[in-house]
Amino acid sequence: MLLGLTHLLSFGDVSAGLGIGIGGGLGAVGAGVGIGYIFGKVIEAVTRQPEMRDDITSIQWLGFALTEACFFYGLVAGLLSWVLK
Amino acid sequence: MTSTAATPDPGAKTNTKKLLWILAGIWIGGMIILILIFGFGHQNHEFQIQNEFKLINWVHLGVFSINRAVVYLFISTILTVGTMLWIAGRMHQRPNKVQTAVEILYSLMRDNITRGNMEDRMAARWFPFMGALFLFIWFNNIIGYLPLPTNSEQTVNIFGAHIPSFALYAATANISVPLVLAIVVFVIFNWVGISTHGPIGYLKSLIPAGVHGAILLLIFPLEIISTFMRLLSLTIRLFANILAGHMIILFMTGGLAVLLGLSFLGWFTIPFAVLLYIFELGLIATLQAFIFATLAAIYISGAATHH
Repeated sequence: MLLGLTHLLSFGDVSAGLGIGIGGGLGAVGAGVGIGYIFGKVIEAVTRQPEMRDDITSIQWLGFALTEACFFYGLVAGLLSWVLK
Repeated sequence: MTSTAATPDPGAKTNTKKLLWILAGIWIGGMIILILIFGFGHQNHEFQIQNEFKLINWVHLGVFSINRAVVYLFISTILTVGTMLWIAGRMHQRPNKVQTAVEILYSLMRDNITRGNMEDRMAARWFPFMGALFLFIWFNNIIGYLPLPTNSEQTVNIFGAHIPSFALYAATANISVPLVLAIVVFVIFNWVGISTHGPIGYLKSLIPAGVHGAILLLIFPLEIISTFMRLLSLTIRLFANILAGHMIILFMTGGLAVLLGLSFLGWFTIPFAVLLYIFELGLIATLQAFIFATLAAIYISGAATHH
């Protein structure tokens, strides 16, 4: 069944699709943990000091984009493995 | 005086519920109808996702050939320069909606991006650059979500004229545009650093305070590499965000169904495609432009500070 799944995804041989899958999947794990942590901290901070909400929000977006970029590094690495085979 | 009810109109709630149930019914019903009509197809090898991002030269001028990315760059340049000049010539005391939007953008560029990361004297010098960088990237990202007839590979035959079919494409989805912008920022912040500290002083300022002796041999190359990583990360962050957004919209609006040959899958993924389109257009386009400009401001001000 695993071979059938990889046959569905293959753009050539198995390793190409596997490369994208591993790159994207592992990247998403780290980014998910990081983004969840950031927003959790923002919720805590806004609960403690509601008047600081606007200042914290701009730092929140900065942190979110920097963390999400790490997922894209993983995805690009996977795409590179597909291009280079 | 009887107080008018503060509770929301209960008729409106059941209307929304009914609408959602009808939409869900159309979604599932359409899938079942498609399964019954078309069944399960086979994998399609002719559809290549790279062709959606291919650049075909329309006017051949060698390196300066005009293809759809170049047209998009021209459009965004005209938009950047044109909208700001046009609004600046038509300012009122009591702003209308467009002027309010532009004022919000201006305050975002000046207060958040420039003055939030640089001290005041530097901010006044570098604000035009930061503003132009932010607006250029923002317009490039936004018009990438507007379908324009640029796909000259699959043309539509209308009365004999081959009109290119509509396609979604952003100039920043090609790696060259973010790469060039990142190289500009890289050259600028290194130049600012060297002109403030001198060449040897700039290299010395890369080393964190309190590091002496043999461990310098380890720290110094790492710092050099991390400076180059800034160039790479600026490029890839912008490029991969926009490219992945476009690719996932393409897959969700039928690419996946064509690739796997399952027509009901196209119907199934339509709500996700709509949600992703709204998410990308509303959040990611603006956020990526803001992040690029903010990081450029942080790097430039970091290179100019005296320790």
